[in-house]
Amino acid sequence: MLYRWVCLTLGCLAPVVCHAGAAYLDELVQHARVKQLAQRQEWRDLLHYKPNLFGHGLRSLADDPAFFLAPGGKTDPEAELEATLAAFFSDVEETDKQQNPQCAFIARYHWLNAELAFDPKRLPPRPCKRFDEWYAAINPYEITLVFPAAFVNSPASMYGHTLLRIDAKGQDEHSRLLAYSVSYAAATSETNGLTFAIKGVFGGYPGVFATLPYYMKVKEYNDLENRDIWEYRLNFTPAEIERLLMHLWELQPIYFDYYFFDENCSYHLLALMDVARPGLRLTDRFPLWAIPADTVRVVVEESGLLKEVVYRPARATWLRHAQRSMDSGQQDLAKALANSGPTELSARLVPLVPEQRARVLDLAYEYLEYQRMAGARGKIESPAVTAARLRALLLARNQLDVPPAPPVPVPRVRPDEGHGSARVGVGIGTDDKTGFQEIRLRPVYHDLLDPEEGYGRGSQIEFFNLALRHTDGDGIHVERLNLVDITSLAPRNRLLKPLSWNIDARFERRRFPDGGRPLVFALSGGPGLAYELAPDVLAYGYLEGDAGASRRFEPDYALGLGPSLGVLAQIAPSWRFDAYARAIRYGVGDAHDARALGVVQAFSFGRRFDLRFEVGREREFDRAWNTAAAYWLVYF
Amino acid sequence: MKNKSLLAALLAIVPIASWAGADGDCGLGSRVFDGQKGVAPQVLAITTNGTLGHQTFAVTSGTSGCNPNATVKSNWKVSLFIDENVNKLARDMSVGGGETLDALAALIGVSAEHKAAFFQATKEHFGQIYASDSVTSKEVAVSLKQVLAANSELAQYAVSI
Repeated sequence: MLYRWVCLTLGCLAPVVCHAGAAYLDELVQHARVKQLAQRQEWRDLLHYKPNLFGHGLRSLADDPAFFLAPGGKTDPEAELEATLAAFFSDVEETDKQQNPQCAFIARYHWLNAELAFDPKRLPPRPCKRFDEWYAAINPYEITLVFPAAFVNSPASMYGHTLLRIDAKGQDEHSRLLAYSVSYAAATSETNGLTFAIKGVFGGYPGVFATLPYYMKVKEYNDLENRDIWEYRLNFTPAEIERLLMHLWELQPIYFDYYFFDENCSYHLLALMDVARPGLRLTDRFPLWAIPADTVRVVVEESGLLKEVVYRPARATWLRHAQRSMDSGQQDLAKALANSGPTELSARLVPLVPEQRARVLDLAYEYLEYQRMAGARGKIESPAVTAARLRALLLARNQLDVPPAPPVPVPRVRPDEGHGSARVGVGIGTDDKTGFQEIRLRPVYHDLLDPEEGYGRGSQIEFFNLALRHTDGDGIHVERLNLVDITSLAPRNRLLKPLSWNIDARFERRRFPDGGRPLVFALSGGPGLAYELAPDVLAYGYLEGDAGASRRFEPDYALGLGPSLGVLAQIAPSWRFDAYARAIRYGVGDAHDARALGVVQAFSFGRRFDLRFEVGREREFDRAWNTAAAYWLVYF
Repeated sequence: MKNKSLLAALLAIVPIASWAGADGDCGLGSRVFDGQKGVAPQVLAITTNGTLGHQTFAVTSGTSGCNPNATVKSNWKVSLFIDENVNKLARDMSVGGGETLDALAALIGVSAEHKAAFFQATKEHFGQIYASDSVTSKEVAVSLKQVLAANSELAQYAVSI
């Protein structure tokens, strides 16, 4: 029956050939059953089978029907294996539009051949010209995992992204840009941000693998998005690299439904690595969700896999570094040059020695480029004027015989060395003279006082941050649930003037005049400014709006506005504090005032543990009370 | 920050010459959150893998500079590289060194002993290679070719451009 299916569906013309093929196919199928190949991890990894979350059985993560040769292949490894073997007998000729199954599923072919030792007389190997050309063009020699890190004023970017780079033979640090990068992403031309977000979370888009020259990615991350890039060179053997690329070839025309939380860019790259090295099973460690930074961690922690880490700073990072080694007069000159050009300001350049002149011109050029790529120049002048000034700056720089500026020093701590993305904690304290004990749970990700090494200072993102409290004499209740809490403190300096902001959606308890503390839904947020008073001291101020909703408000809601000030400082490597004061006047709805001030101190023990002390005084509805608490937090 | 007009401005400093290809550009898809800065897109960006819209950089088949199997055809490699990196090459040539210029040297096959001369030549002739404010990447390539051809040590590499 199998051979008839093969002949009909794959266009086998000569019944004689079919018949002979059928006999050998049966032999191979029997051999595969005896060896239980369909149960092997290699087959599971190649087909991306994962156990069903509920119930028994397996299901492949691939959603494209073209990935499966058997009708039930998505859930039946054995049928898929046998249909694959049958497909290898096809004599379909390779063209620009189609491939022979031996080539289209070349990783499967090679593994099954290794396991079953195909007889070339009875199952002739097909030439795979397209694969060979592609493989030769890539000329793979080494695999690197690339991690674009966070950038200032974008807490979202802390979440991270990963892609692979395939380095060719003979490539070294002088020619890295010429390598090919492999990334997995949702393929869509959707322009509505909200639609994109929702569909991205629920698998509404197909995800595909894309291969692009690495220099395009560097431009995108380093220059456009101003993200530092960390490159983790890996120790895959030539055979492993070949397997990975063969599987990538199989996947290139295939789509997987893209799920932002679990089957995202980072997850699928791990799946490629699982195929390269059977037994690695990196994807098994991410059954529920895959945070890119966590996927980098498992690769780094895998013994013997990491060779070297290379740091590639973004333009914005370079700008901040360059400013630090320049006095304010020269920084001002650089800014003026970016706005007026070297000819107009030649008088101010002449007194400087060539070395200083070069540094000022370098800063002026990079600053102007930074602004142009951020889209900030178009409002001031036409692109032609900007282009002319950029060229004038380069021409002035060209006259000087000074070597390029030294590179930005590599940060002490890498993003993968930061604290774990989940956090739990226990605490005790008093609130309005009543004692309580509390449990805190936070699946992701980082707040302002968590150990900051490897994370961006002043960036906070938290999802589903839950506090469960047992109050003496009252029982256990939800004290607070932050659905989403994002804060970005972006310090302003002479050249860079970002706007800070925060947003917070939560359920929290508020104290009402009758003493009750019901749960209130609140949404707050607003713009702010931040300044570095000293290298490790950040002063900030916000104007916040707050909207609270509760039946207990009269009438059901309260809208308010008010300032919030604070100082976030790092006193010692393991000791940070945040001192804050805020006031909100609720003028609409249930009119009243609210104020709070306090200090939170955090002591970290490595990047696994944190001890916090909070003291504060709050006031709402004309009642004031004090709070004090201590928490022990664990990151994992 | 990501913006179709930004992309246009980016290319405006050195407009892409029409490389007589029947197909579109190599994989530069549309970007979500186009031109939308600020808080709302940030919050939404979190749910899209923490990045602002570059998921759509998918290479489709038959795009210029790329063959259907998604690697860059060798006769397009140098032109595509210069085109994509024309601003960074200007930066590197003006100071006589840098990673992008280094990569270009590797791409056209400059040997280790000629590298220093290559950097020196581009620095000396920077004004000739980037001859005007509106120079195109094709003009940059042609001028670079001429500079190499006129240099006894580097003339052998002119043919690779």
